[in-house]
Amino acid sequence: MFGYVRPSFDRLNEAERARFRAVYCGLCTTLGKRYGFAARFILNYDFTLLAMLLSTGEDDRCKECRCAVHPLKPCTVLCENDALVLAADESVILAWWQIQDAIADSTLLRAIPYRTAAFFLRRAYKKARVLRSAFDAHTKAQLAMLSALEREKCPSLDRAADTFATLLRGTAMHLADETQRRVMGELFYHLGRWVYIVDAADDLARDVKSGSYNPLIYRYNIQGNTLDSDSRTMLCATLDHSVHCMAAAYELCGRTHYHAILDSVFYEGLYAVGSAVLAGTFRKAPRSRREHHRKNGKEETR
Amino acid sequence: MNDPYKILNVSPDASDEEVKKAYRTLARKYHPDNYADNPLADLAQEKMKEVNEAYELIQKQRRSSASSSYTGGYGTAQASYTKRSSSPLLQQVRAALDRGDVAAAESLLSQPQEHTAEWHFLMGKVSQRRGWMDEALRYYAAACRMEPGDGEYRAALEYMQSGGAGGFRPQGYSVFTTGTDDCTRICMCLACTNLLGGGWCFCPIYY
Repeated sequence: MFGYVRPSFDRLNEAERARFRAVYCGLCTTLGKRYGFAARFILNYDFTLLAMLLSTGEDDRCKECRCAVHPLKPCTVLCENDALVLAADESVILAWWQIQDAIADSTLLRAIPYRTAAFFLRRAYKKARVLRSAFDAHTKAQLAMLSALEREKCPSLDRAADTFATLLRGTAMHLADETQRRVMGELFYHLGRWVYIVDAADDLARDVKSGSYNPLIYRYNIQGNTLDSDSRTMLCATLDHSVHCMAAAYELCGRTHYHAILDSVFYEGLYAVGSAVLAGTFRKAPRSRREHHRKNGKEETR
Repeated sequence: MNDPYKILNVSPDASDEEVKKAYRTLARKYHPDNYADNPLADLAQEKMKEVNEAYELIQKQRRSSASSSYTGGYGTAQASYTKRSSSPLLQQVRAALDRGDVAAAESLLSQPQEHTAEWHFLMGKVSQRRGWMDEALRYYAAACRMEPGDGEYRAALEYMQSGGAGGFRPQGYSVFTTGTDDCTRICMCLACTNLLGGGWCFCPIYY
């Protein structure tokens, strides 16, 4: 997806960070094993969290292994389990349809990077489509609906967000237990809604410049490329409601050993990311941030 | 009934004070206010009942020796929309919302009728139940504009404007929200955390 869903790492102790890292590396390994090296590049935090939420907490065996990114220092990696497999399969399907969507929306020249990505991902997608045919059809239908709304320049923020939210709710449709399906369905619905709106806020300035559709432009009648104070307050409130609904659903889930990580996501991380996106500080130039980070690191070691 | 100590997530050796604290935390978590107009309110109500029963049972077991006394559980009452209505049709909408039948409420509201303040208010309730929070806010605002003196509409609008603030947060988590400036600082701190294997090269934060 987009990498917006992340824990508040400052809240986690070393063991919890290692646990998160093991799931992240576990998802990467699972993607690589099932779909080849290219599929590893679609790895992100969002599906790592999804794997944690869907985990029963029973199958958490880990192993030590090296990979291309960490060739010298072996990493602790969560062994393949049902939650990781599901997260890997669904992330391939979602990435595929998002790439197709981007190709359809781009000019011939601008579509080249997306076509290249689609070329490398096509075999992975063909495999995932067979394994998760229901989720594939659901994703395709929801994204087609979203494209139609974008074409007609839908002014309703909720109607546009509902397509992506319903798409993500589909992640819970395979669950056998009805209560769990309801709880997870609600959680994923608001996760999808939140991700869609945060992404729209993140892309606002760029979309205004390029003239692309962005629901915030039509919802808040934006003049210029930023939100005015009242609109910003309303946007914050609607994002907060979704986080609150996610937290309310999460509270009804059973506790697993990931609870400290998930607590930090639903009670702090999402608010922090939303706030940074609205302040325009979420996507600072990577180079300057790395330099800042290195500088801080050096100061700490002195 | 399952082990009451397990439900409250405390050890059987826990002191009365610890049991009470655990009970209060869970009661805050599953309180009806935390699930206002939430489609999972019935599940929270069940949890609340379970927590109340577990606490009551522990209190009963300990009553002979302990000085603390059970003072009654937290309420599990759900929001009710059957208070009043200006038309029989809207009365039916309120009844459908009480049953949790959002589709029926929506269908009744889409029938030809005058779009009064109450109609807007109930459209807001339907939107809120579906998770369409922005639409809900707009409907409540319209209801308040039409009848500024109505307490029910005003409370609904204020709740939507608050972004659900006041919901449960575990101990140690402060009540900041997306609109709080401090969040930005925390986020940049977390974004810079060198978490993944000591290198930035494969960390999606940087891309």
